[in-house]
Amino acid sequence: MRANGGRAVWLRTPAPAVANDDAEQLGLAVPGFQDVELSPVVLRKAGNTTTLLVSGSAVNAVVGSLQFNSAQVLFETAAGVVMDEVLYTILDHTASTSDGKTYSYSLTLRAPER
Amino acid sequence: MQNAKDTFYEVLRSRVVAGNPERTIVLRGLIRPGVLVEENELITATTLPDCFRLRWTETSVDRAHQLPLAVMRCEVFYETAGQVGNGGMDRGRALAAMDAELAEAIGATPQSASKQNYAGLATSGVAAPMSSRIWWTDVNFGAAEIKGDRVGRSATVMVMSYEEAGE
Repeated sequence: MRANGGRAVWLRTPAPAVANDDAEQLGLAVPGFQDVELSPVVLRKAGNTTTLLVSGSAVNAVVGSLQFNSAQVLFETAAGVVMDEVLYTILDHTASTSDGKTYSYSLTLRAPER
Repeated sequence: MQNAKDTFYEVLRSRVVAGNPERTIVLRGLIRPGVLVEENELITATTLPDCFRLRWTETSVDRAHQLPLAVMRCEVFYETAGQVGNGGMDRGRALAAMDAELAEAIGATPQSASKQNYAGLATSGVAAPMSSRIWWTDVNFGAAEIKGDRVGRSATVMVMSYEEAGE
């Protein structure tokens, strides 16, 4: 990935929901967000979507540091991926494995409609 | 209108919980009742199964009354893949169970509730009761749809409320 121009992006994750907080469920309060760096990654644009190839070890480090159960939960919880100050929505994600270990994740992203 | 929407959500959620306490979802690390309002949640590409997702669509206001009458259309979306342990072969039964829960929650008497103003929750306050009530129609079920390994449906209910001064 580094040889193909690997760069960094930021995964935007919301703070955990607050128990019995109707204000959040009614849209009166918004959760805090934090951006965590994912690096190295490489991008490929195809039509309206962008495919992001992320290093497996980078994702595993984030999963561990934020105490998520798995990369799947991490990506499904995330608000999106921030690149060049633009928030992209994660449409889907797949893992590539070898000998039982994940070496990369592929995320399909959609840019916001303008 | 926002107060009527908030009140309807609170009533529906409490009735669904009363009917089936196990109808829960995990959202942002928290287990909560399986009822949500789409416009109040983060935008995601994934659709949660086995929960009721409320979407407010059409709204009209009739001013030929002493107080303006707001009529709001609430569409309730839900889908299920059944249980993994059953290979999804019970998804039809699971959808029927959700149909029954929704019909019971919306059709239970009274089909009205005292309107509440929840704005105070934003500042750690409490909901304030208002002078008027909201009321709603029976639920109208749409056709079942196949969505990959899931089967789902949308249902519609009309929610009415008089707009009080200051709303």
